[in-house]
Amino acid sequence: MIARYQLFTLNAVAAAGLILLGVLTVSPARAALPPVGQAAPNFTLKSDSGKNLRLSEFRGQVVLINFWASWCGPCRQEMPLLGKLYDQYRNAGFVLLGVGVDENTENGRAMSRRLGVRFPILFDREQQVSQLYGVDAMPATLLIDRDGTVRYVHRGYKPGYEQTYQSQIRELLKQ
Amino acid sequence: MKPGVFTPMVVLLAATLATGCATEPWVKPYEREHLADPLMSFVRDPISAQHREHVQDVREGARGAGTVQGGGCGCN
Repeated sequence: MIARYQLFTLNAVAAAGLILLGVLTVSPARAALPPVGQAAPNFTLKSDSGKNLRLSEFRGQVVLINFWASWCGPCRQEMPLLGKLYDQYRNAGFVLLGVGVDENTENGRAMSRRLGVRFPILFDREQQVSQLYGVDAMPATLLIDRDGTVRYVHRGYKPGYEQTYQSQIRELLKQ
Repeated sequence: MKPGVFTPMVVLLAATLATGCATEPWVKPYEREHLADPLMSFVRDPISAQHREHVQDVREGARGAGTVQGGGCGCN
């Protein structure tokens, strides 16, 4: 027959285990890209030109944020196409920010140079902005309207997405 | 019925199993730098690996569940 104190210990251990389990399971909020209609979280990052760029500085312009990395195949496919969109619409009040998540900034810099893109590249070395935005796919593309509200969210890249981007950029530029 | 002596332990075990996949130690998409490194792949040349796998599929008659897709002719 099991002693009373043993039973008590058993119960206590089980209760402690359940509490720990609860804490482990609940505490990390499930990361996901900001939903459409929410204000885009502000951030400041160093750009390839050496200047710090802040998202809120681009209020009044349509902003496309693209999270990419030099090791990400679809990103490499997408970047020159984004570059074309940037060249086409930059004079109409459109900004494209490429947030590179490479730990080694040099890799990102070399890749963007090789792909010949002219839009500002930001370096998120510490991956704080990726965390802030809860990037749950690579690449991830967000379209932000002139008021700083997230209007479209795209996960990943498949050929043809650039046409969707284009029509959405045009729509937001008209507003 | 009187609850058994090990009921608390059984409850804990069940809870652990039920929530085991809910904890999030996952590698985030933006943290895959090292996993995406070519060094992490089994073979150096993906095209030759695909070809080799295809040939083995055909020779050994054990098709499917691999990464190589057939041409759709139903003839291997």
